[in-house]
Amino acid sequence: MMSSDVSKRPGPASATGAPQENSGFWPMFRRHAALAMLFNFACVIFSTFVLSGGKYFFRNFVFSMCIGTAAWLFIDLGRYLLWRGATPPKPKFFLLVVAVAPAAYYVGIVAGALLLGFPLAKVLPSSSTATLGSIVFTLTASMIGGWIFWNRSELAELKAKSAEQQARTAAIEKQAMQAQLQLLQTQIEPHMLFNTLANLQGLIALDPARAQDMLDHLIRYLRATLASSRAERTTLEHEFALLDAYLGLMAVRMGARLAYTLNLPDDLRAHRLPPMLLQPLIENAIKHGLEPKIDGGRIDVSAARAGACLALTVADTGLGIDDHGMALDSQPGTQVGLANIRERLQALYGDAAGFTLVPNNPCGAMARLTLPLES
Amino acid sequence: MTTALIAEDEAILAQTLANALHRLWPDLRIVATVGNGVAAVQETLALRPDIVFFDIKMPGKSGLDAAHELADEWPDGAPFPLIVFVTAYDQYALEAFEHAAADYVLKPVNDARLAKTVERLRARIEQGRTQAPAPDRPRDGELERAVAQLRSLLPAQHVPAEKLTIIRAAVGNQIRMIPIDEVVYLEATDKYVNVVTADSESLIRTSLRDLIPQLDGTRFWQIHRSYVVNVKRIDSAVRDDAGKLSLKLRGRGETLPVSRVFAHLFKQM
Repeated sequence: MMSSDVSKRPGPASATGAPQENSGFWPMFRRHAALAMLFNFACVIFSTFVLSGGKYFFRNFVFSMCIGTAAWLFIDLGRYLLWRGATPPKPKFFLLVVAVAPAAYYVGIVAGALLLGFPLAKVLPSSSTATLGSIVFTLTASMIGGWIFWNRSELAELKAKSAEQQARTAAIEKQAMQAQLQLLQTQIEPHMLFNTLANLQGLIALDPARAQDMLDHLIRYLRATLASSRAERTTLEHEFALLDAYLGLMAVRMGARLAYTLNLPDDLRAHRLPPMLLQPLIENAIKHGLEPKIDGGRIDVSAARAGACLALTVADTGLGIDDHGMALDSQPGTQVGLANIRERLQALYGDAAGFTLVPNNPCGAMARLTLPLES
Repeated sequence: MTTALIAEDEAILAQTLANALHRLWPDLRIVATVGNGVAAVQETLALRPDIVFFDIKMPGKSGLDAAHELADEWPDGAPFPLIVFVTAYDQYALEAFEHAAADYVLKPVNDARLAKTVERLRARIEQGRTQAPAPDRPRDGELERAVAQLRSLLPAQHVPAEKLTIIRAAVGNQIRMIPIDEVVYLEATDKYVNVVTADSESLIRTSLRDLIPQLDGTRFWQIHRSYVVNVKRIDSAVRDDAGKLSLKLRGRGETLPVSRVFAHLFKQM
């Protein structure tokens, strides 16, 4: 006629941060209570229909519930007192289950007798064999209950850990990519910087007014580059100002060997885009197109609407490219730069953006970026 | 009077260097300032200055390539100029220059640093004038010295994991597979490399500079800025009246020029 059981969970999760366990003590308590009641009810059915041949349902129900609830409370309380929020070691947890089962049995029996108005002498089994049998039943039920809840919580913990691991991996990947982008963005070539400073040094003696002018360009270039490297989005107006500062510096250095125009329609000034998409194209045009060409040439940069797209074009009249898009100068490095641009576009826009590099007419190269127009 | 030539594509930097030199070495006469590597070679050959300042990064031809060409084209008997390389920040170049004990000037120009270079140059010019071994060939050792420097400035031979065994060359709409052993020599043309075997020539779209690291350095020797030759196909090296070396080949009628920088490969054992 006895039954019992337990609930319990080896407590994890407030420590590991599993999402379903984050909801505080009371919700957790209620969840455990519900599970314990469910398990208790299973024990009632078992003891009524298997052990008592279908009789005494109500009596079995009251006693089973009392013993089960006591076992659950003792185990959860014991676990809390012993290990607080932490997950107990499995053997110690089951030792706790074994230890509290007899106590739960007696407390449950007494509570059930009081509830039903039975004299205590009548409900306490007379023979020690019967008592032992009941305690073994309680113990077995407690173990089964404990085992079920242990596995349940272990599964939950594993799930939580795997979710956590995934989240961490994603976060690390994102950080790595951001760091890489920022590095790319803040790359102010030392060679370029020192050459510019060398020019400044020269101009200070030769032509202080032009030196002042060049210093202004340099300050604008550095400021805009730093601002861009910290922002995730910028405007075409800002990007074109950066290009103007950069090309202004290069024009002082290259003298008559470099001419340039920047063409940004007023209605596109505020258009937003990721920073440093255009800059590498201009640097390529200078480095591979115009700098190695004895006579130099010109660069024309423009932004325009093309259907539903924003078209950004960098055309130069430099050494040009062959029909495979390879720079014709002898310097290494274009392919890596172009691959970087394509990877960035793919990461930012998927297939919605495009990049082409084709020969320009009559000489040089033309790079063209198409991005989705944003409102 | 000592003369110098400045090759620098950025006009402001050329002027700045000229001014600094004028401050530190008033007797030095700048005979020409040129803005690219091609003019640097031409003008140096024409004006024969005592010293040349070559920017490393110039359009047309790099300062290093210009120096190589100068060493090859330099007429016998004339004093070879002292070469000073000029470069902006470039860690690799600086290490290479230090290693080769080459003279160099850093941009931005620092007067104190430049003064030391000037001092060294003056001493060497003076030494060349007073201790010339033969009156008709003063400072002949300068060319040897320059060649040795240029040789040690060549990119270090590194051994790639896999050597090229087959060259794939597009001829019309087919790809010819050329076993590397059949190659007699490789010739750098304008933008391509000409792969020459005993009975064929094919262009491939790559630079000699990129190809060289993929070749086995014991079987293929670079002998000139524009030529790499299969050692087994060399018949003999011939020195002409002007002292220039050229190679006769097995299986090909033409001869190939050998740069002074690579002439040491053909000294007798």
